[in-house]
Amino acid sequence: MKSSRSHAEPFSTKSIALALALVFSIFSSAAAHADARGEQLYRNCTICHGPDGQGIALQLAPALTGLSEKYLVEQLKKFKSGMRGSHPDDVAGLRMLPMSQTLLTEEDMVAVSRYIISLGSSPIEATLEGGDPVKGQATYATCTACHGPDGKGNDLLNSPSLLNQHDWYHLTQLKNFKSGVRGANPQDIAGAQMRPMSMLLTDEQMMLDVIAYIQTLGD
Amino acid sequence: MFEFIDKFMPGLLEMLLPRASSYAVQIDVLFDVITILVGFWFFLVLGYFFYLIFRYRHRDGHKAEYISGETHKQKQAIEIPHYLILACDVAIIIPTFLVWYNIKIEVPPPDEEIRIISQQWAWTFQHAGADGVLDTPDDIRSVNELHVKNNTQYTYHLESRDVMHSFSVPVFRLKQDAIPGRVISGHFKPILTGEWDIQCAEMCGVAHGIMGARIFIKSEAEYAAWIEANTPETAQKELLAVNEETISEAKEDPNNG
Repeated sequence: MKSSRSHAEPFSTKSIALALALVFSIFSSAAAHADARGEQLYRNCTICHGPDGQGIALQLAPALTGLSEKYLVEQLKKFKSGMRGSHPDDVAGLRMLPMSQTLLTEEDMVAVSRYIISLGSSPIEATLEGGDPVKGQATYATCTACHGPDGKGNDLLNSPSLLNQHDWYHLTQLKNFKSGVRGANPQDIAGAQMRPMSMLLTDEQMMLDVIAYIQTLGD
Repeated sequence: MFEFIDKFMPGLLEMLLPRASSYAVQIDVLFDVITILVGFWFFLVLGYFFYLIFRYRHRDGHKAEYISGETHKQKQAIEIPHYLILACDVAIIIPTFLVWYNIKIEVPPPDEEIRIISQQWAWTFQHAGADGVLDTPDDIRSVNELHVKNNTQYTYHLESRDVMHSFSVPVFRLKQDAIPGRVISGHFKPILTGEWDIQCAEMCGVAHGIMGARIFIKSEAEYAAWIEANTPETAQKELLAVNEETISEAKEDPNNG
């Protein structure tokens, strides 16, 4: 018995058109390809930073979506080179140290950073108590030089945005800068700028105050 | 004793990786004994199995015979291999107990101590420094780099900051789990200089597979040079910083704003 298929033409006009349409769609999506790469790379990060990039406190992972592409790429480079996250007391940084090795090229870092930013940033609830935003405002005057009066940071000065970030992360990083866990590597120039600034915060209360003020900036 | 038995063993593991600790030979002998005995029975039983399949294949005019297994001769087919395998078990379990005692139970008095702190996904090593005593200001801490002196008896204290890890040094034939909340002590004595791998051998999260470190086994002179290059400056600086911090905090006037 002959199958009905053998009577059909090997390639119908319809199937050729369909194949051409498929090929065309692949090429036309080349622009979106970079985003797909970023999304794929970001899967490794979701375990700690969450699928929405908002960070997870239990994993000691900060929110990423409020940061700029330049800052994210710079930090990834620092982690990868050991400039950041290689201090024995930097528990969270040591987690990031091996993860940064999964990004092989600068293109990968850019792709994943672009994807993170595309997720969109939103305000994060405060968890710390005891900070006085009024006192913090006075302290923050020093920070405005780099991070700006609105806390949005300045890529030209290598300063990150402080908005839409977990307050516990701010506190940890201020302590890390002050103790030299972060920013003490001689090659970390931006970190070296932040270290003396963190020294101005003489005790934890001052840190809590300034963080309480930063929380009000997002509104 | 293990060194003597080793002369008659093929040294299967040593073909792949040299022995760099004093007790590596014991693990290797045990590995060889188990591999040879189990391998012998494996191939014997498999060979016999295929022989029986061939010998009693379907042939015209032959009917299958039902055997109840009650006669003495039939029982022997089970009994003899059974006792032979039991004898092999004893031959395995005696060296197993000896090796376990030598490596895990008995900790020889150490020349030096070292603290190993595991966390997701890095190793921090606290070396005793120039004075050879842990928890003193001249301790040298390093991330993912363990520096030890050849022919020195070490006691390690293994900790975990978060989840379970396993401190594995293949070249030492050493593997020890780290459990959060516990300090697990053990020992090793390097006998071969060189640079080798350390790895985590307990699934500990997404980056478990890349939680590696390196061990540097140095000669006495090299180790002394490493201590000298890494201790004084940083240790003194850290010590000064700690002192300054406590002094400035103590001096701080509460009305200082």
